[in-house]
Amino acid sequence: MSLAQAPRGQSLKIVSIRGGEGVRRRLFALGFHAGDLVEVNAQGIFRGPFLINNLTSDISVALGRGIAQKIQVEVVSDEK
Amino acid sequence: MPWAVALPKKFRSKSFPMKNNFPVVVFIGQPNCGKSTLFNALAGPKAETSNFPGTTVKHTHSKVNIEGRLLNIIDLPGTYSLNPSEPAEKVVLTHLFQEKPDLIVNVVDASILGRSLELSLELIELEDPMIVALNMVDLAEKKGVQVDSAKLEKRLGVKVVPTIALHGRGIKQLLEAAFYRLDERCPVRSPRWSLDVEEEVENLAKKIPADFPIVANRRFTAVKLIEANRAFCCEVLEELDPILKRDVDLAKKNIEEKRRAPAYEAIAAERHHLALKISEQSSRVERGKHLSWDKRLDDILMHPFLGYPLLAGVFLAFFFLIFKIGNPLEGSLLRALSGWRGFFSKLLGSGLLFHLVDGLLQGIGGGIAIVLPYFIPLLFFMSFLEDLGYLARAGFLLDTFMHRIGLHGKSVSPFLLGFGCNVPAIMSTRILESQRDRIITSLLIPFIPCSARTTIVLALVAFYLGPMWALGFYIFNILLVAGIGRFLTFFFKAPSPGLILEIPTLKRPSLKNMLDKTYLQLKSFLKFAWPILIGGSVVLSLVQFLGWDKIFNTLLSPLVVQGLGLPRELGMTLIFGFLRKELSLLMMLQALGVDYKNLLTVISPEQIVVFTAFVSFFIPCLSTFAVLWKEMGKKVAFLSAGLSVAVAVLVSLFIRVVI
Repeated sequence: MSLAQAPRGQSLKIVSIRGGEGVRRRLFALGFHAGDLVEVNAQGIFRGPFLINNLTSDISVALGRGIAQKIQVEVVSDEK
Repeated sequence: MPWAVALPKKFRSKSFPMKNNFPVVVFIGQPNCGKSTLFNALAGPKAETSNFPGTTVKHTHSKVNIEGRLLNIIDLPGTYSLNPSEPAEKVVLTHLFQEKPDLIVNVVDASILGRSLELSLELIELEDPMIVALNMVDLAEKKGVQVDSAKLEKRLGVKVVPTIALHGRGIKQLLEAAFYRLDERCPVRSPRWSLDVEEEVENLAKKIPADFPIVANRRFTAVKLIEANRAFCCEVLEELDPILKRDVDLAKKNIEEKRRAPAYEAIAAERHHLALKISEQSSRVERGKHLSWDKRLDDILMHPFLGYPLLAGVFLAFFFLIFKIGNPLEGSLLRALSGWRGFFSKLLGSGLLFHLVDGLLQGIGGGIAIVLPYFIPLLFFMSFLEDLGYLARAGFLLDTFMHRIGLHGKSVSPFLLGFGCNVPAIMSTRILESQRDRIITSLLIPFIPCSARTTIVLALVAFYLGPMWALGFYIFNILLVAGIGRFLTFFFKAPSPGLILEIPTLKRPSLKNMLDKTYLQLKSFLKFAWPILIGGSVVLSLVQFLGWDKIFNTLLSPLVVQGLGLPRELGMTLIFGFLRKELSLLMMLQALGVDYKNLLTVISPEQIVVFTAFVSFFIPCLSTFAVLWKEMGKKVAFLSAGLSVAVAVLVSLFIRVVI
């Protein structure tokens, strides 16, 4: 599923990042890579941007819907 | 702050140490890691700082004398990597390779160590002399992260000095380390990557012909050839060296086959994993301390519903606080000013001497009585919001609305900067990746009420008609910006890439930093804008004394009197408004020849609103026009001027009809 459809507040693992080279490079530079654990924190009103927390590198990024749709994630079960 | 453009000139004249032997030290780091704060701690307040990624969009040079040794320090814009995608980031590469620094000081945000080290590793690949300033260690500790700088130093192979730039801690140790590295050559060796990628890089490095321009070292050049973007590799290299191009393509293909991902992604992943590994090995994380005050505050600030009333509340508080502070000050200072005018008029009669003194008094006194009461609180509260990190949050909240006008949330920060001054706002459009977004944002910024225009609105509309009128004017102004944005996007259809905006951690603003920033901007106001205000007032006095103002007023009267319905004497002030917007305001009283108490006897409240609207919009001020020309080119500058005139006339007529 894409990050745009992912449930809020759950640990997710990035499976792949699609999209054009420019967008991908930008996301890599900001510290978003396949394999990272992320979490959707909030979403703006009227299909606004997503607030994504990257748990692996501990940074927060606002991503527009179009970008969030290009990031494929899977739910990580919280087994400790 | 139009004077901000002129500010670095002072350094420019002294800089470029081509002929002298002062060592060049560059500060490089990711956006918002505190480079400028560190730079200011060393060189005194010179660079603008804020808690928003991308405040520094151009470099600041400073020659500093530290313990008898002269150093040339350069503060570069923040960059996430050495493969830049924003125009501001390209400045970094140019400087890094052209200035051939004697020492790189890599500023690292300890609170997000893993991500920050990705750039450090890329810099180490240069194998140039380098030290790491491990900044914001206090913030990291608050987050529950203890970084062991000795371990980090060992793993990176370069000197690491923990610092807290905001409180000046670790600066001395950083300087000692810097001097040591300048005196003794300490070899730096880049860590190697996983074998499968590494062997392709080394293979290519060996194949680079002897006459090829090597940057830094062979391995670094090979890495950059592999990960550079398509445009560079295919077009430039094809012409330069077709054989090498084939080797590069082969290396890329091999890596792609091994990793089943584009070569640039494989290399980014290598750095990412290495950085994470080093970060894990050299820091101890205590979870649980995690949910601190800033996380909870953030949940409210960016709440999908609560966030918006809060944003409106912040805006209103901002507006009324400035008004409540400025209004009584303006009143009492204007009273004092009119007392002085009476005194001089009795003393000097009404000859040329009185006119000169009066012009001088109007310029100096007007600056103190009308501009500063609003300007100083505005700068101060603006720096509070900046340092707190609220701007990025506003960007997140407003992204939805920005989409309606064809832009996205990243443009919010240039817009918000525009409330301070349009000039740095236009420069900060360099943080936008797409040229289309830059053009639209730059065309819209001149309509944002900057501090000069806010002063006019507060000192004129709020002072004479009450604060609600001023607030209404402000809201109308913002809606107007949205309307023009919507209109412009009809002509610039190309889709804008989506929003990718880092949200920095909330930071408790430091009073010292806020005062420093207010002082820095106030100083440049006094230096660059005030002389214009004084000079303009004196010139107007002289022109009035000689009776030349009638010529200009007659020439402009079709527009001023018939079009806008204003007193014809105001024609002259519009010409001066091009220099500085506040000048029109100062001159209004002077041109109408009345005391501030009697203003409403010669001009109606409606006319004040029309005048304010026209002055606010009719043309970007001189500094804004100049920076538009410089940043975006002649065409955009003139387009902006034309757009402004058209909008000003339409809006003024509209207001005249409606009110």
